[in-house]
Amino acid sequence: MKKISIALTFLILCLQAAHAQDKFFTKSGKINFNATAPASPEKIEGINKSVTCVVDTKTGNMQFAVLMKGFEFERALMEEHFNENYVESNVYPKTEFKGAISNNATVNYTKDGVYPVKVKGKLSMHGEIREVETDGKITVKAGKINASAVFSVALTDYKISIPALVADKIAKKANIIVDCSLEPLK
Amino acid sequence: MTRKTIQYSFIVVVLIIAGSVFFAFKEFNRTKKDVAETEAAYTLSSNDIISAFSSDEKAANLKFLDKTIAINGLIKSNDKDEQGMYTIVLGDSASMSSVRCRMDSIHNQEAINLKTGMPITVKGICTGFNADEMLGSDVILNRCTIKIN
Repeated sequence: MKKISIALTFLILCLQAAHAQDKFFTKSGKINFNATAPASPEKIEGINKSVTCVVDTKTGNMQFAVLMKGFEFERALMEEHFNENYVESNVYPKTEFKGAISNNATVNYTKDGVYPVKVKGKLSMHGEIREVETDGKITVKAGKINASAVFSVALTDYKISIPALVADKIAKKANIIVDCSLEPLK
Repeated sequence: MTRKTIQYSFIVVVLIIAGSVFFAFKEFNRTKKDVAETEAAYTLSSNDIISAFSSDEKAANLKFLDKTIAINGLIKSNDKDEQGMYTIVLGDSASMSSVRCRMDSIHNQEAINLKTGMPITVKGICTGFNADEMLGSDVILNRCTIKIN
């Protein structure tokens, strides 16, 4: 009996070790884009719910990919302007971020909790590549992790020009909210 | 100019202004057209659209982007997010690549009883291709509705 239980414990430990995952991913992450100017009477806000994200917990590397045409706005006209005039999604269909968590060592991916992180990397959008750095949050809960961050990008950095006519409605800096629930990659 | 012509032209100007305000207002508040009511520009299998995008992404983008497309295939999985919105994943279960169809909020209920392995046709707007070697490359369809085979 004792032998069996020892063998069982060993087996369970082996299985757990085999299941320990380094990489986490999602294909249905969310990114919210908000460029509402403070004085604007209407919300200029789009949301994309098909964001691909991979986090390597060992190295802290993280990657995001988002299709610009997947941003949904409340008004059809706004969505068309976003795609045709601003981000020109026909020419630049995809926005990508490649970077890493600078303080990855402070995150314990095996213990439930909320860990503040710093993320640094390159954001390529509208044909331009810029260095970005932001504070984010890694939440570990029951074997899954959630990566979230709020940061802003200056539209002029990515050569997105805003016509004078609507300059009072569209903010110079767009607020980006990232929210991705990641699952272990099998 | 007589008093009458002035009166008439005044009425015409007011009508033109009222007309343009009405159209501007209507255009401003225009909502997206229901995909269920639009005709599919292309109908093809999930494998065909994946290979079209993987062999020549640029050409496929030109052909499919922003278009209403009907995709038939087998359901690989039917995922529900925290808000209860369904994403139907179509494709070959042996391959990493798939067509990911995110349901339209007004058609979301149509996806409730869909199970893995069922053959189905989904209609939606093609938003592009997400190529990824590790995770598999996906064609993404937004605002989808179901057409059962």
